[in-house]
Amino acid sequence: MAEHEEHIDEMSSHLAPAGPAILAPGHTFATITDKISAVVLSRDTPAAWLLATGGFGLLMMWLLFATAYQLARGIGIWGVNIPVAWGFAIVNFVWWIGIGHAGTLISAILLLLKQKWRNSINRFAEAMTLFAVMCAGYYPVMHLGRPWLAYWLFPYPNTMGVWPQFRSALVWDVFAVSTYFTVSLIFWYQGLIPDLATLRDRSQSKAGRIIYGILAMGWRGSARHWKRYDSSYRLLAGLATPLVVSVHTVVSFDFAIAVVPGWHTSIFPPYFVAGAIYSGFAMVLVLAIPIRRIYGLDDFITTKHLDNCAKLMLATGEIVAYGYIIESFMAWYSGNLYERYMILDRMGGKYSIFYICLISINVFFVQVLWIRRIRRSPALLFLVSVIVLAAMWLERFVIVVQSLHADFLPSSWAMYYPTFWDITQFLGTIGLFAFGMLMFIRFLPMISIFEIRELLPEAHVSLQEVD
Amino acid sequence: MSTSAQIRDVTFTVPERWYRLERQSLIAGVAGAILCIIAAIVSPEHFLRGYLVAYMDWLALTLGSLAIICLIHVTTAQWGFAVRRILEAAARNISLLTLLFIPIAVGMTRLYPWAHPGADRDFLTHLQRPYLNPGMWILRAVLYFATWNISAWALSRWSWLQDSPPDHAYRRRFQNFAAAAIVMWGWTMTFASVDWMMSLDNHWRSTIYGFYVMAGQGLSGFAFVIIAAVLLWRYRPISEYLTITHLHDMGKLMFAFLILWAYQAFSQGLIYWAANLKDEVNWYVNRTTGGWWWVGIAIILLHFFVPFFLLLSQDLKRDTGKLIVLAAWMLVMRWVDLYWLIIPNFPDTKGHFTISWSALAATIGIGGLWIYAFLVNLKAHPLVPRHDPMIYRVIEAQEHGH
Repeated sequence: MAEHEEHIDEMSSHLAPAGPAILAPGHTFATITDKISAVVLSRDTPAAWLLATGGFGLLMMWLLFATAYQLARGIGIWGVNIPVAWGFAIVNFVWWIGIGHAGTLISAILLLLKQKWRNSINRFAEAMTLFAVMCAGYYPVMHLGRPWLAYWLFPYPNTMGVWPQFRSALVWDVFAVSTYFTVSLIFWYQGLIPDLATLRDRSQSKAGRIIYGILAMGWRGSARHWKRYDSSYRLLAGLATPLVVSVHTVVSFDFAIAVVPGWHTSIFPPYFVAGAIYSGFAMVLVLAIPIRRIYGLDDFITTKHLDNCAKLMLATGEIVAYGYIIESFMAWYSGNLYERYMILDRMGGKYSIFYICLISINVFFVQVLWIRRIRRSPALLFLVSVIVLAAMWLERFVIVVQSLHADFLPSSWAMYYPTFWDITQFLGTIGLFAFGMLMFIRFLPMISIFEIRELLPEAHVSLQEVD
Repeated sequence: MSTSAQIRDVTFTVPERWYRLERQSLIAGVAGAILCIIAAIVSPEHFLRGYLVAYMDWLALTLGSLAIICLIHVTTAQWGFAVRRILEAAARNISLLTLLFIPIAVGMTRLYPWAHPGADRDFLTHLQRPYLNPGMWILRAVLYFATWNISAWALSRWSWLQDSPPDHAYRRRFQNFAAAAIVMWGWTMTFASVDWMMSLDNHWRSTIYGFYVMAGQGLSGFAFVIIAAVLLWRYRPISEYLTITHLHDMGKLMFAFLILWAYQAFSQGLIYWAANLKDEVNWYVNRTTGGWWWVGIAIILLHFFVPFFLLLSQDLKRDTGKLIVLAAWMLVMRWVDLYWLIIPNFPDTKGHFTISWSALAATIGIGGLWIYAFLVNLKAHPLVPRHDPMIYRVIEAQEHGH
């Protein structure tokens, strides 16, 4: 046995170059379980958590108020009008739903690709997906103007004889987003079950035992449980994989199947998907870096994780940059008057400051991630991620607003300005998102306990002995 | 239990069959070349069209291999260890293809409408002049070939350094260079696909076109490496280091590229169909009327749906006999797809299906030379990089049966 381990050590010294591991040394099954479950069960709630919950909770309350006001007054309180009928609502919808994509990529695709490092970040990335999709879903529903009739978007037999227009990408959105939310929720919940059982067994309070007990659905951790668990988890991962691509592809169709210059271009599907994952990883880092600091979870979320997330961000960032450049090139190459004007207006028109900002960040600035030292520095990486999130928001703003404000008919050209309600509702969704995340890290294990235990060498030796 | 003792024999004795295959492919290459010359004399226009199809088809294998090498280095993939030298030998064929590009460059004015004398009378061509002009076109081609040759040869040369110790000096260098090379491939191939294929009809454009061509190249590359790996599996040292799990992984990646290719084809189709603009749908009209319809249907069914459902099966991806047939089929369909992309661009073949015999002759000709050069390249160096540290991980995985 000892000889065997020595042998593995020797080999890994050949293999793994200098660099951090995905799990700090010295952990056992027990220490992992202790450390992660303590955040929920026994440790004192950090002051930072209380402060953040208070602040973001207030923002969320504002969202509630703004929503009530909007239901009473209608979407006239927004800055949207003809020709810019899609203002902040759609900008924020696309931004939020894009953020969710990193969660699904981490949980599903990286699982199927046997990327073990995902085990430490998948749980909270999935939670991030859920809250981001909630924030995203809020906007199109409110944008309907009469959100209480939202169910008309579903095809159900009705006495009105009215069916949704199946050739409209907006109807595809309904299916794409609702499927996405459902599958993400089930996947996340199934991942939680073994850990909920751990919390049930360790909880000191009666309420904790009852609540976690109900949520754990009678999980006992028998071999049979695990076998079935594993196959259904993989099956769900297989189902979730196409969703990583399909949801934002459908979102891109919202734009691309129209004839508006700046929207109608065939690169949109892959470019939107890449942009979604790009901003999603930025959000993962924005969440992970403070959390690991405040809760002292550097053992589980190591610089290796930050490095890998940053690399994925860089790779998808390159595709996004490719999208901008090809779009501009083809607009010129097409010789089409409207397309050429659209790009020139983007670069030098009234909204050009946003375009210049987003290009300088997403094409040039993000290249700093080629530098290893930046990828492994939590503070710098946090900064880069926040900037990237802002730039991706600007990207959607430019696509939605700039393309619409000057379309085919110069007599109808007009500027779009967000109102007080536009801006504060957006802040309100940030409140909703952050509040949800804060509740999640306080009451549920934010890192998957059982999947981290799988990273230990002990977990593998036993498997080999079974063979 | 020392690690060095575990490394199995890496020597490779060139089998008799190898020489036979070399001879045969050289004969095919020469015969194809003679047919091409005859075709070029009979009708230079038609010869060049067919030649372009064949050229892009073999270029896809070459650059697909280059991209896969980069992918292996960037992701430090285990499945890549035993097949890397195969891919390197294929990627170095870019030098051969650089030479074989000459007929296209010489025949430029016959192939590309914007290069015809008097093309400036067309207003759009006039607008595109700063980009679409013979001088710039040649200059860009020089840049593309320079990039690809440098990438292929640099990755090969560093790989040869791994035939002797030390063990772990090159990993970072490989990783950085491969990341840059894959980005460069993306840019150069995008503009090469515009220059060589899309501009055959310079009134049509699509922003996804470069991605579409590149996804096809990745697919060709994986199909090729699966075929080569399975054929070489009976010989040392490939037999020592390639496992069924590696083959399964490559099968999955071929599957992934198939889906990626189809995704891009579908996206472009849906976006252009829904918008229904004259400038854009003409491209589809040219490719779906006058007999082309059946080619399109064949591509949808035989290039995508049938392989898609077959590749869903795990058993098929782990069955060498079946996987190699499917990979060969993918290469055939890649050719059909390129034929469908390129041939209906010309005035007499728009919406009018024709079989281009010169495309077949050129495919055999370039292919014969390509395979010959590949075999010569491959046997010149050991078939696995003996001192790549990945060798330990591969051995460890084999011993523990994952």
